[in-house]
Amino acid sequence: MFEDRSFQRVVAALGWTAMAVLVFPVILTILVSFNGSQFIEFPPKSFSMDWYGNIAKINKIGEATLLSLLVASLTGIFTVLMAIPAALAIARHAFPAKAAIVAFLLSPVAVPMIAIGIAILQFFVWTGLPFNWITLLVGHVVLTSAYPVRTIVASLTLSNPSLEEAATSLGANRWTVFRTVTLPQLTPGLISGFLFAFLISFDNYPISIFLVRSGVTTMPIEVFNYISQQLDPTPAAFSTIYIVIVSAIIVFVERRFGVISLSVRG
Amino acid sequence: MTDAGGASGVTLPVRRRSGGRSRRWLLVACMLGPLLGFMVVFYAAPFVYLAQESFQSWEGEDEPKAEPTFDYYKKTFQSSRTSRALTRTFRISLVSTLIALVICYPVALLLIRAGPRQRSAMLLVIFISLAASLIVRNYGWLVVLADRGPLNALLVGLGFTSRGLRMVYSEGATIVALVHYVMPFMILPIYGALLRIPDSYSEASISLGAGPWTTLRKVVFPLSMPGVFGGTILSFAICMSAFVTPLMLGSPATAMMSQVAAEQLLVQQNFPWGSAIVTILTLATFAVVFAYGWVIRRVMKADV
Repeated sequence: MFEDRSFQRVVAALGWTAMAVLVFPVILTILVSFNGSQFIEFPPKSFSMDWYGNIAKINKIGEATLLSLLVASLTGIFTVLMAIPAALAIARHAFPAKAAIVAFLLSPVAVPMIAIGIAILQFFVWTGLPFNWITLLVGHVVLTSAYPVRTIVASLTLSNPSLEEAATSLGANRWTVFRTVTLPQLTPGLISGFLFAFLISFDNYPISIFLVRSGVTTMPIEVFNYISQQLDPTPAAFSTIYIVIVSAIIVFVERRFGVISLSVRG
Repeated sequence: MTDAGGASGVTLPVRRRSGGRSRRWLLVACMLGPLLGFMVVFYAAPFVYLAQESFQSWEGEDEPKAEPTFDYYKKTFQSSRTSRALTRTFRISLVSTLIALVICYPVALLLIRAGPRQRSAMLLVIFISLAASLIVRNYGWLVVLADRGPLNALLVGLGFTSRGLRMVYSEGATIVALVHYVMPFMILPIYGALLRIPDSYSEASISLGAGPWTTLRKVVFPLSMPGVFGGTILSFAICMSAFVTPLMLGSPATAMMSQVAAEQLLVQQNFPWGSAIVTILTLATFAVVFAYGWVIRRVMKADV
């Protein structure tokens, strides 16, 4: 149907407009971050790198970023470690109430984030568990665990179970089969699952805001507070750095593991 | 265990199979155990407690709890602030999802049409925008829609307005940012569904005399329904639970459900009412998701 010229033109015009809308705010944020003006102003009247230096003035930004990195890394590690055996069970075995259990494990994606935050907050108050950064970790693991389950199951359904049977029949024990046959097959799902969990945790505001207490704070909370109190382009400088780092990670991981095609199929 | 009917006897394989089955279930339990156990304790149990809390009456810190009550559910529908927030949340979510569908479908069509290099470049852009922080992306819209921002500069330059319009902190700004946020969630499932449709289907339709638009409407779009369904469901659920976006781009007058729930919990410290509001929000989202699935399957007879 793309042979028709007018059809092709209309689809291309609409599609490229949508792609432009997708990148438009990112490009403008980068431009504004080099703007000399005290306010968000366009077109920029002068060039300045001052806002990059000003990032340090965001309240507690250093320690908040470190804590966010710690929580996001541990969230990624814990969710992946728990998701690997669960995904293997889902992809390779039949068990009772399977559909219900899978739906339950994947459901946090559709539940309002603040509901998760509020539920865990009240649960911790009720059970008397202490509030510290581990509370934050618990909330983030609940929020993100569905992603590695999905991506690892997707990896496993694309891979071939008869390879494992072949290894077993050739005398390899369970652990050797897992290490040398299964694990390499689920690596792309594992990497993209970790990446999803890490990035969602690193960026989370709606759950963190309910679970942080005295002194503990995360990067999104402090950046959000700065944006709601100041109008200067410091957050634009911060956003630019964020986007550059995330783009580099995504490009690297895609080149190395081909994560994108997996997520489309999964 | 494939030799169940072998000549070596009937009883032995049967016993071996049943023993194997219970051992396999034990194995499955061990594999699912850590994640399922964690989710039951820190996800299911907190939600049960939350639902239970929403039936309590609020009597301050140390008062004994009274009888279970529906008061806060009634109050949510009676109070003009919360009932308006509920209808506003539905309206914003519906409009955002529809706009996202209309502008994302052509992107998915472009993706299947594109050559390998162009396709991977486009997918990379979509993924980076998916991975870029929500706060960062919303901030981008604060920049674009600012009083002296680029869009106003353009409008003034084209002579549409002399002083620029106030666009930020409104329902419209919230919708724009939400559409932007859900675009990757809409594009990727539709693209995935389009990939599964063999080219020969649309070729057959064209060679039988249907125009490209008819082919799109009668052949390609119905076959891409699983992707459209997945994308719209996910986008709608994300919009319904939006919290950061209306907080950054809206105003207190355009508050969505998550915001009024957070107000009750963090500002008023009224836990039962806050719990009732998020319970209603969660149930409303699930109700729409199920009803939508039912309509798609039964009424439109699409296989999703």
